[in-house]
Amino acid sequence: MRLLHLVNGGEDLGRSRWFWIGFAAVILALVALPLYQTEFEASNASYYLLNIPLALGLSMLWGYCGILSFGQVAYFGIAGYAYGVIAGNLTETSWGPLVGSVGGLLLCAAVGAIFGYFVFFGRVQGWIVPILTLVFTLLLETFLGQTAGYQWRIGAVQLGGYNGMTGIPPFQIGNFIFQGYAFYFFALSLTVAVYFISRILMNAHFGKIMIAIREDVLRTETLGYDVRFYQLGVFVLAAMLAGLSGLLYVQWGNYITPSQVGLLPAALPVIWVAVGGRNRLLAVAIATYLLNWINYTLSEAGNQYAPVIMGALLLLVMLFFPRGIIVAIAELRWPWRRDVTPVSVQDRSA
Amino acid sequence: MKMQPAISTVNLTKRFGGVIATDGVDLSVSSGEIRCIIGPNGAGKSTLFALLCGIHAPDGGEILLGGRDVTRLPAFRRVRLGLGLTFQTNRAYHNLTIAQNLEIARRRNSARVDSDALRRYQHAIGLFELDQLTDLPARALPHHQLQWLEIAMVLAGGPDVILLDEPTAGMSPEETMQTASVLRTLNGMGLTIVVVEHDIAFVREIAHRVTVLHEGRIFAEGSVAEITAHEDVRNIYLGRA
Ligand SMILES: Nc1ncnc2c1ncn2[C@@H]1O[C@H](COP(=O)(O)OP(=O)(O)OP(=O)(O)O)[C@@H](O)[C@H]1O
Ligand SMILES: [Mg+2]
Repeated sequence: MRLLHLVNGGEDLGRSRWFWIGFAAVILALVALPLYQTEFEASNASYYLLNIPLALGLSMLWGYCGILSFGQVAYFGIAGYAYGVIAGNLTETSWGPLVGSVGGLLLCAAVGAIFGYFVFFGRVQGWIVPILTLVFTLLLETFLGQTAGYQWRIGAVQLGGYNGMTGIPPFQIGNFIFQGYAFYFFALSLTVAVYFISRILMNAHFGKIMIAIREDVLRTETLGYDVRFYQLGVFVLAAMLAGLSGLLYVQWGNYITPSQVGLLPAALPVIWVAVGGRNRLLAVAIATYLLNWINYTLSEAGNQYAPVIMGALLLLVMLFFPRGIIVAIAELRWPWRRDVTPVSVQDRSA
Repeated sequence: MKMQPAISTVNLTKRFGGVIATDGVDLSVSSGEIRCIIGPNGAGKSTLFALLCGIHAPDGGEILLGGRDVTRLPAFRRVRLGLGLTFQTNRAYHNLTIAQNLEIARRRNSARVDSDALRRYQHAIGLFELDQLTDLPARALPHHQLQWLEIAMVLAGGPDVILLDEPTAGMSPEETMQTASVLRTLNGMGLTIVVVEHDIAFVREIAHRVTVLHEGRIFAEGSVAEITAHEDVRNIYLGRA
């Protein structure tokens, strides 16, 4: 009951009965996707979905708590590589992928905790944090790029330098291997679960403190909150969600290269989150799905300007809908809307 | 009878580069007292508050809260020990509703809010007329009520001592007197109050004792009558306030 109340709190889009009916309809359409799409198309849809946990993590970190990170892809890569190494070495047992997944997530949490500890407990100034996160991911890219030699072999797995790591095992529980439609359902259920957990978290007291920190760090600390602890908490959470996306990515495509943690992939999540509306989880999830779809469609059509178009989109949206385009659409005065008093918290900072 | 100080400092010192903002301050505020701190712009009043509550670390000296050395404690720990503070510029969460502001302020310290503290808080909420406005965003409040909201937020944490940095800045004379009356009532309910204030009418209204800061040092200290009669203080400070 209390949980239901938290799901329906004011810190995300949509609270009305009609909203939830529409939400259920979309979920139903996604669940029924194998009925009207080929396995190849479902596999593409899996890719759009699997980026959503990373984006939701960034939304909580940046949109709700005010900490901008360009380094979420670093955790994406750490989890992907860790999974590749662990699962690739545990091929005798069918539990390898599960151990690899847990290992990848734990490594993300550990690295995120260490990085976050120095940043937040060292009280690094807010505007330096995005730079540090970007530097971290570029260092990781450089490091991974020079792992071409034979000495960069961990057990049976070759890190592979700029060619990346190939032959990464798909996800598996017991003897069941998640591929094709099965992987699609796996990615879909994880994404929906992450969405609901995030939504509950942001509507709970923890979410209120995130917003309080975003609005005024010093005021929040002088109300008795150990701000560093909360910042570290959401940072580790976002790192693990980025890790989850990284896991799903390598389980989906069975390979990863250092360019996945490079400059362009580092910028993309910021675009998804900003274009959707960074302090509305659902807006971020929708934008992530749509922008990945657009990006894929553009680059599949042989359009090498896809990144430029994405950048232009970001500029336009920030110019005309600074709080995000999905948020802007959601807040249009729909004729059937009666709730006139907004009870939710809006981030009006630029 | 001399009561134990609620908050005190020993030889407190703070430099910003070449500026000595706080210069060997020995301050002692008794439990149950209302102390006003006055002084011209740049005298170091806000810096003293920032040191007391742990926003800045001092370059020397000690800070005691209820007899306990808190000099090395971070701000949030001092708050958990019963210190509350408002800022010179209003820092309620302007984009959050009044209910959310108060809830965030109340939640962390709810364990230490005893019945006296709760009574003070509820009393203030009523007098400040905030109890009917819960779903309004704070930014929609008129200026004086926004100031009151921040005081109410501080009280929500159940402090024993509150530091208010120019709480009536920008208020009309009536609002200022209303604020004074609420603070006196709260003080009567056991709250120790230290307040930085320029408005001498307000100071007359509430101060038990007055401390005059000048260039980071305590220049004079005494009752309102003593301070207002003090020739140098009159000439230099009250004239400018
Ligand atoms: N963070 C800081 N960095 C550098 N100098 C500072 C800082 N804070 C205060 N100062 C300096 O310390 C001195 C005392 O400033 P403070 O703000 O404490 O004065 P004040 O008595 O509160 O003045 P006002 O009445 O204007 O609020 C001033 O010279 C100010 O310029
Ligand atoms: Mg000041």
